[in-house]
Amino acid sequence: MNRELLLEGVGRRYGLGGAPWVLRGVDLTLAPGTLTRIEGANGTGKSTLLRLLAGIDAPTEGRITGRPRTAYVPERFPAALPFTAAGYLIHLGSVHGLSRGEAARAAVEWLERLGAAEYARTPMSELSKGSSQKVAVAQALLAEPELLVLDEAWTGLDTAARTELERAVLERRAAGGTVVFVDHDPRRLAGAPDVTYVVAGGNVRTVTGSSVPREEAYVVVEVQGAPGAEPPVEVTRLAVSVEEPGPGRPGPGPGSLRLTVPATHSDTLLRTLLTAHPPWHVVSVGEGPPATRVPPRAPAAAAVDADADAGADVDAEVRS
Amino acid sequence: MIALLRYQAALLARSQRWLPPVILYAAVLGIGVQTGQPVLDSLGYAAAAVLPVAAWLVRICATNEPPAARSCVGAAAGPARAHLACLLVAFGTAALLGVVATVVVTVVSDPASTDHRTPVPVVPAGGAGLLAALACALLGTAVGALTTRPLLRSTGRAVPAMLLAAVLALVVTGSPARVAVSDLVTGSQAGVVPAPVLPLFLAGAVAAAAVAVACALTTRRG
Repeated sequence: MNRELLLEGVGRRYGLGGAPWVLRGVDLTLAPGTLTRIEGANGTGKSTLLRLLAGIDAPTEGRITGRPRTAYVPERFPAALPFTAAGYLIHLGSVHGLSRGEAARAAVEWLERLGAAEYARTPMSELSKGSSQKVAVAQALLAEPELLVLDEAWTGLDTAARTELERAVLERRAAGGTVVFVDHDPRRLAGAPDVTYVVAGGNVRTVTGSSVPREEAYVVVEVQGAPGAEPPVEVTRLAVSVEEPGPGRPGPGPGSLRLTVPATHSDTLLRTLLTAHPPWHVVSVGEGPPATRVPPRAPAAAAVDADADAGADVDAEVRS
Repeated sequence: MIALLRYQAALLARSQRWLPPVILYAAVLGIGVQTGQPVLDSLGYAAAAVLPVAAWLVRICATNEPPAARSCVGAAAGPARAHLACLLVAFGTAALLGVVATVVVTVVSDPASTDHRTPVPVVPAGGAGLLAALACALLGTAVGALTTRPLLRSTGRAVPAMLLAAVLALVVTGSPARVAVSDLVTGSQAGVVPAPVLPLFLAGAVAAAAVAVACALTTRRG
């Protein structure tokens, strides 16, 4: 498991001596497997904070420890690079530590996911603003970073790519990564962040949530897939238990599964299921018993014996 | 680090901004070096001209990448390592130019002293020219590293500062580049091949210090 990214008394000012502090006395903890939203008016130091988190800037005072493998997506990505989109992504993948072969495969995969596969061989200088931004997003995601820093990364993307980036963010969190983002749109990933901070007056204040994922509340999701189909890897990673309803229980039939997942990650799990190929049918979603603490990654046999009837029936309708 | 070097080298090669300094260097050699001239004199001239070319190449490499792209690489590899790769690529290019020029000059020149009376052995002369060229490339890299991003960010100040520093590095008494070049010139007059090893070491130390300062400042001054 990754370590926490820790900011202690961090301050930053540009220029020497008398320059004003952009940020001062910032204490923050970013835990692995969490999604953090940073808010604030223009010019309050959001971008400075993100640059500090990403390691692009060093704090003028205080210290930052525990930064894992990091990737950063800027708001506007310049097209003035003498590479093709795929060529640039292979270079960046190698810088991120992939082999050239791995980087080439990941580049193709991410350009496809973002709907820019046809631009792989196009020189960056000929790309539109939106397509350039897709390349910027792809370079950050292709190496599966442990810390993903997004500075208004959605700017300029088309609707499909925006949704895909949101999905990718949730996948990163599900895989134990730390994700931090700034976005002007308050609906961006609404409800998903584990914690939201506001930057104001040179410091950071908590709006909602905690940087440590809650483990008390669980959700039980019953899903129906093709008989014998394996659930997506992300789903098994998110769920603390995956069980097939026993023969004695009234189940929806072969191919049905009962997943127990921490409430904080239930949206991610549902999205993953509904966007999988082939998709899974969500039969019911219900609360798990709050009293029962389920140890993470429990074997299926030790699963919570939740009452399926407690769940409200839903039919594949998830906020997106 | 290899991935960073490959990226920076590709960036330089594909940007074509390397063309002006290389053409200038070729022109300077074309004007100043002619077939049949004393070998050590010509090698000294070729080495001295590497210094401003190295400084210019550093400036090109350091300013080649748009800031947003630099941030992406900086987050992935650390800004200091990214800047180190860019300085190494500039130095490598300058050193390559110096080596090629040294070989060409050694082949076309007259292996004799300035007065064409004392013969000068060709291979040791070429070796001495190589040491001097590398010393100048190192010092030029130091000049470039200290007169561009992250130390001097405005072009209006950085370019005059670079030109001034490059001239000073060639003429100020005690500068390793000046010592290496004048070793070759006095050696040519006496018909003796010098071994400018000490200037090379000094230039290496200066370059290492300058590169360390520049890399350390990347996260402090953006």
